[in-house]
Amino acid sequence: MSRFAQLWRTTTVRLTAVFILLFVIFSILLLAFIAYQSSIQIQQQQMAAINREVALLTRIDQTQGVRGTIYAVGRLSGQPGPGIYYLGDAAGLQIAGNVTGFPPNVLQNDGTFSFNYDRDDNLNGGGAGQGFAVVRSLTLDSGLRLIVGRDVVERRGFTAIVFQGFLLAVAGILAFSTLAGVITARRVLKRIDTINATSAKIMSGNLSERIPVTKRNDEFDGLATSLNAMLDRIEGLMQGLKEVTDNVAHDLKTPLTRLRNQAEAALRDGTDGETKREALETTISESDKLIKTFNALLMIARAEAGAPSGALADVDVSAVAADVAELYEPAAEEAGMTLESRIMPGVQLRANRELIGQALVNLVENALKYHEPVDGTPGRITIAVRNDAGRVKIEVGDNGPGIPEADRGRVVERFVRLEKSRTEPGSGLGLSLVAAVATLHRGEFRIEDNHPGVLAVLDLPASS
Amino acid sequence: MKILLIEDDREAASYLIQALDEAGHVTHHATDGETGYAMASSMDYDVLIVDRMLPRRDGLSIIESLRAEGNKTPVLILSALGEVDDRVTGLRAGGDDYLAKPYAFTELLARIEVLARRSSPSEAATSYEVGDLSLDRLSRKVERNGEGILLQPREFRLLEYLMKNAGKVVTRTMLLENVWDYHFDPQTNVIDVHMSRLRGKIDKGHANPLLHTIRGAGYMIRE
Repeated sequence: MSRFAQLWRTTTVRLTAVFILLFVIFSILLLAFIAYQSSIQIQQQQMAAINREVALLTRIDQTQGVRGTIYAVGRLSGQPGPGIYYLGDAAGLQIAGNVTGFPPNVLQNDGTFSFNYDRDDNLNGGGAGQGFAVVRSLTLDSGLRLIVGRDVVERRGFTAIVFQGFLLAVAGILAFSTLAGVITARRVLKRIDTINATSAKIMSGNLSERIPVTKRNDEFDGLATSLNAMLDRIEGLMQGLKEVTDNVAHDLKTPLTRLRNQAEAALRDGTDGETKREALETTISESDKLIKTFNALLMIARAEAGAPSGALADVDVSAVAADVAELYEPAAEEAGMTLESRIMPGVQLRANRELIGQALVNLVENALKYHEPVDGTPGRITIAVRNDAGRVKIEVGDNGPGIPEADRGRVVERFVRLEKSRTEPGSGLGLSLVAAVATLHRGEFRIEDNHPGVLAVLDLPASS
Repeated sequence: MKILLIEDDREAASYLIQALDEAGHVTHHATDGETGYAMASSMDYDVLIVDRMLPRRDGLSIIESLRAEGNKTPVLILSALGEVDDRVTGLRAGGDDYLAKPYAFTELLARIEVLARRSSPSEAATSYEVGDLSLDRLSRKVERNGEGILLQPREFRLLEYLMKNAGKVVTRTMLLENVWDYHFDPQTNVIDVHMSRLRGKIDKGHANPLLHTIRGAGYMIRE
């Protein structure tokens, strides 16, 4: 496609073309109106001048007689200009004047006439040729025939000037607006080409590419900014996906290998039924763990993708927290700990009930798993829910050994398990899910110091 | 019990049919949606096990058509989609229970046995009895051997669910779903602790225990 065809297809150029067309049409109408009005005006002025001269000559005829009239007409005829004069006797013989060869009916009848005539060289100094005359013919008191008129070729000349001006104006408008349209279109096209080029680069795999934003802060910069924000989000998701894939590859492959080895070993030396049975049972429980890990990963992925599984609904967070507290209270007691709830009743949230519940369960299970207070005091877990100035805070605290400040950000990452906890069962995904749930509800998840112990805080905006 | 299994994965189906046969159930098998629908609407089954994604006709549409015809056979939906909203759409289409793949056979067996129409006391029953243990749903009184037992509300619901399904295995997930109404996935043995508390209240001091732990599966209440 040629550059011109490409330009022609841009909206700017098409719009410019339409505007030029409209402008030309309006200019034609306007100038035609002006020309028409002016010609009428000139015609009226000429007629008035003719009538004035007729009145003057009539008076001269009355007061000074034939001699005065002949003298006056002779004077007028000698003046340069568009004036046409004729004075003849009753027999039709010309006495004075500057034009000959009037049509016979003009010479015989009174009234106003217009006609073509042969112009003399000396008339108006404008050279011989066809002329167009408007005249008034009348019989004076003295019996002489007087004809006074104007050559209207001058009037036509005026129309021609107007028309020339019009052509000049249209040409100027055309040239200027075409230029302006092309320049604008080229600029727009250039900006769009930049966006296209960036998209092409991104599509070919370079996700870190961004659309340049200029300092002009125009609509294209607005578009570029929001497209860039979208790209940031996509890149973040892709990065997350890549991390998940890497971690899945690593953390699922290890137990899968172990599973396979166990099965192989059982097949090789499992002559005795009991050994086989044990090996099979281990296999099943290992597979169950794998399935759990897999489910947790899927849940995190779904929560992080921002597509809430099950549309968000109005959830009574207090009730969910109370359920979880009630569910875990016996287990805590069995572990020699107390579970306390400080739940403000009726805290509502637009949320996914299952995910909020699962996040709370993960936090409580973490507290149960890593309790052992350092100073030998009895373990204590607190579940708190409150609405704190437009933020819904869901907190699970313990009085265990806590997490060193430097590690607090890291424990939220997938599969991160601090050295101390390597021996505990678990997928290492619990807190990542909590973080993903926080993000899904447009809130945040942080780990604070409970003096002593861990205070896990889900901090969510109350109404979203 | 007569079961119809609509599942296109032949290997999974043959394993399931064999296991169900060992558990004493007769299973018919359809490998695609149309055949499955024709069989379900022409014959009388106790339970239907329907996979969600099937060739020729998907599982949910089969269930919707059956329900529209007034067929009330209990349906267990099997699906590789395990998320909460998938479960909700499945149940809304007329399914009675939903099990995500992969699943343990014991879980599936426990669920279909609870689902089956036959031998289940009606939902409207106002009281249940197992041996000398009785539970009155209206007055919320529990008695064993004429002696009143004081239960927490949740313990009452636990026992109610167990007694409603007396003689059948109920799994931990079933308890979590039906007594607590959550589908999440606890890592620790929270349910076991609740069960041992309940057991302490109803079986302690009695020679014959009623609440039994079924190894590798769940719990059962029976004489």
